[in-house]
Amino acid sequence: QEVTLKLHQFLPPQANVPKLVLDVWADNVEEDSGGRIKIDRYPSMQLGGKPPELMDQAIDGVADIVWTVVGYTPGRYLSTEVFELPFMMTNARAVSHAYWEMFEEHMKDDEFKDVHILGTWVHGPGMFHTKDPVERPEDLQGMKIRGGSRSVNALLTELGATPVGMPVPAVTEGLSKGVIDGTTIPWEVTPALKVPELVANHTEFEGHALYVLTFVLAMNKAKYESLPDDLKAVIDENSGLEFSVFAGGTQADADGPAREIALDLGNNIITIPADQTEEWRKRAQPVYDAWLEEMAAKGKDGQALLDQARMLIEKYTPMYTN
Amino acid sequence: MKSMMLGLSRFMSVLGGLVLSFLILLTCTSIAGRLLNGFFHGDFMTAIAPGLSDWMLNLGVGPVTGDFELVEAGVAFAIFAFIPLCQMTAGHASVDIFVSFMPERLVGFLRMVTEVVFGLVLVVIAVQLCSGMLDKIDNRETSFLLAYPVWWAYALSLFGAVAAAIVGVYMGAVRVYEFFTHTTIIPEGTEAGH
Amino acid sequence: MTDLQIGIYSFPALLLLIFFRVPIGLAMFVVAFVGLSLLEGVSFPLLRLKNEVFSTFANYSLSIVPMFLLMGHFATLGGMSTALFRAAESFLGHRRGGVGMAAIGACAGFGAICGSSLATAATMGRVALPELKRYGYAGGFSTATLAAGGTLGILIPPSVVLVIYAILTEQNIAKLFLAAFIPGILAALGYVLAISLYVRLFPDSAGTRPPVPWRERLAALVDVWPVLLVFGLVVGGIYLGWFSPTEGAAVGAAGTGLIALVNGGLNRATLIESFIVTGRSTAMIFFIVLGAAFYNGFLALTKLPDEMVSFVVSQGFAPLTVLVVFLVFYLVFGCVMDSLSMILLTIPVFWPVIQALDFNLLSMEAFQAHRAAEALAEGVEIAQPMLQSIQEALAQGVLLTKEQIDALGIRVSERLLDRINMEYTAIWFGILVLIVVEVGLITPPVGMNLFIINSMDRETPMLETYKAVGFFVASDILRVILLVAVPAITLFLLPM
Ligand code: NA
Ligand code: NA
Repeated sequence: QEVTLKLHQFLPPQANVPKLVLDVWADNVEEDSGGRIKIDRYPSMQLGGKPPELMDQAIDGVADIVWTVVGYTPGRYLSTEVFELPFMMTNARAVSHAYWEMFEEHMKDDEFKDVHILGTWVHGPGMFHTKDPVERPEDLQGMKIRGGSRSVNALLTELGATPVGMPVPAVTEGLSKGVIDGTTIPWEVTPALKVPELVANHTEFEGHALYVLTFVLAMNKAKYESLPDDLKAVIDENSGLEFSVFAGGTQADADGPAREIALDLGNNIITIPADQTEEWRKRAQPVYDAWLEEMAAKGKDGQALLDQARMLIEKYTPMYTN
Repeated sequence: MKSMMLGLSRFMSVLGGLVLSFLILLTCTSIAGRLLNGFFHGDFMTAIAPGLSDWMLNLGVGPVTGDFELVEAGVAFAIFAFIPLCQMTAGHASVDIFVSFMPERLVGFLRMVTEVVFGLVLVVIAVQLCSGMLDKIDNRETSFLLAYPVWWAYALSLFGAVAAAIVGVYMGAVRVYEFFTHTTIIPEGTEAGH
Repeated sequence: MTDLQIGIYSFPALLLLIFFRVPIGLAMFVVAFVGLSLLEGVSFPLLRLKNEVFSTFANYSLSIVPMFLLMGHFATLGGMSTALFRAAESFLGHRRGGVGMAAIGACAGFGAICGSSLATAATMGRVALPELKRYGYAGGFSTATLAAGGTLGILIPPSVVLVIYAILTEQNIAKLFLAAFIPGILAALGYVLAISLYVRLFPDSAGTRPPVPWRERLAALVDVWPVLLVFGLVVGGIYLGWFSPTEGAAVGAAGTGLIALVNGGLNRATLIESFIVTGRSTAMIFFIVLGAAFYNGFLALTKLPDEMVSFVVSQGFAPLTVLVVFLVFYLVFGCVMDSLSMILLTIPVFWPVIQALDFNLLSMEAFQAHRAAEALAEGVEIAQPMLQSIQEALAQGVLLTKEQIDALGIRVSERLLDRINMEYTAIWFGILVLIVVEVGLITPPVGMNLFIINSMDRETPMLETYKAVGFFVASDILRVILLVAVPAITLFLLPM
């Protein structure tokens, strides 16, 4: 082959995203290039460093392609947080679609100018997994919760809970040792962390979800530019809007089987109906205000971004709801 | 020169130790806050002394926010700060058995090359850490909970890394001088700290 | 040269540097740097260093290391090592080989509050070596006893090596500590047996001391209370869920520091001394961690670990054969390598292989029986004929039917069983690896514990120590065989 690309990410190879999204993408690229591109896959941070370094590894060319959580590097990609705000997210395909559109319009040549982005997506609905049931905002009073993102941590503080910072793999031990009373993650991740065995209650929101994380599949810019035009075309062909929607959708589809495990165990799954979500959303207003302020401090019009994101999500949600 | 370097190394060790002690106390405070927070939120206290409970909770009795990221930043500094003295007292783990069969001159030569390379490595580490810090200043990355700029933590570590590089280069120079003049300035494995 | 060849040649290059007395961390760092430059150009390793050194050091889980080291030093300042030895000696000293056994007992006690083997060896060496000499113990026998006793520092939890293993294999630190407990006690008992055998074979090698009256024994026992307090607080706190193991290290350091302060052992001078001693070991350990992280990143790029995993798996070796080969590898390399570097270097390669094999530590029958027993103990309502059929099935050790499982209301899926088996395998393998790398600390010619203790005793030639330590190494090897043959010893305390 002509070109070998190093794909680096933080999950083990058998996890959902590497197996169902990244491998599929890489296999397609290899095949479409007629074997001229080879993609070496390095799971579990094998090439060294900790997950927050992935973005810099792509920028510096230590890895050619990385998959990473944008929120691992807080403060750097503030615009993507518009999708991470509480109760913005509806459905992973719709939000991933909106995310790609807004990425192209607002972020590509601005915040992400140092890398070549191949895909932008979000996971399925983020939610609470707690020892004691959470049905109303007041129930969170005094609970120690691992928040999945900056926005969730801010919301937890608003609601009188104590956000506890810990990396995802520490959640299992945190729950079993009582260091935390609950955690926020999507269903998909719960089996690997043994969450269904450790908590009895799960709180989902109908309509707009509690939160999501934003992901990117990013490529080193110089490496991309160095490819001959026909190979660039192969990469382009497999990336962008369609891939982003596929990635977000595939990840969200893994929520179902995980939810089954909790049901198997006889856990209590609480679904907050859409009309009650409004009460929660009101309590989240200060989180929105803080984000708008931060955006303003960077000279960006957060409100315009927020309005557009809402508009696009409303527009695409029916498209992807079966 | 030697006493100055030794002084610097000891100073950095003590500084690292103080930071480590601070992290220990911080962690204990955080645990105590978390346990008390649970206690005042518990059924027992809210039933018998609701006023006291509310008062304590409103005072902010709870885990220290961001203890996790403070420990990470602090312990990185402490480790960098501990390197200089380890350098001066030949504290790094190595395998002695094979050189004991070699002529002394060869051993001296190997020691010289090793310490020069070590000094060089510590300089490279400090320079690259500085370059990493400049990136972090540029991209304004912050920590997760406390949202302090990440480059602060880098800068703190850089302070330790520079001291390590200075001592590393000094030790390299000492071993070169010792090799060519057949002298001993700093005996190996001295417990210079005691 | 292909990438794979570069990876393969890096091994002899690394060993050569180590034989030339290049510090192990530096050797790994340099080999990785050169290797990465060959693979990707010299700017590649430089770019990695921008963030990687910082992120390797800024590691929350690893912050446990300097804290446990400081805790061990404070414990000594607080007089805990002396108190432990006095208490053990007052009970055992009058027996044949009793003072040596007391030293082992005191090492075990100290190991319960110290996470490092070298620190345990050094501390107890300082306390017990003069006593052993006083009661006529032969030089080599004394040093070998203490060197072996020192290994209890990492065998009995807390243990720095286990923390590193837990991080590398993404396992629960608290469970690993729990699993290490029984094997650790067995280690101490094995050493006591080794001593009693030694003094029977060489009666001239040890004397006895006069018996101590019971009143004094009890008084000595009372002096041990700070050790019990700290151990109880740290271990109890971790298991009661008051704090995580990492936080437990901070609690332990603060607790021993406080006791040292109250006992008058801690003042400005000794505090500075503690920082310096802790700092030196910390810098040493973390430079090895850094070198190994850098080297492993390089190896991954050469694809060598992948090739090795697929080779071993494709050969279709029996799982037990692979396990034994790995353990023997550790024993052989342990003669010349340092324990921490061995773990850091090999686990990223060996663990995926072990993970790919099926050791079947928990069978479906046993799993069902355990869950059924739990359910029956809790008192499920079951009709008499059904209950009888369940009890028969359990007695015969056969699989339960779906109706029986439903009647019991238990959950026993294949997937759940696989998950438990994977965790059991990780923990069992971790404890076995812990023991075999620890043996490396006392196997000639290069054994860090042997060096430390021997340097405290100028009159004893190294060769005498080498000769006597064989008995302890033999006891270690027998214990490994026992634990391989009976995994339940290690897994006994773990929740299912
Ligand atoms: Na220990
Ligand atoms: Na050895």
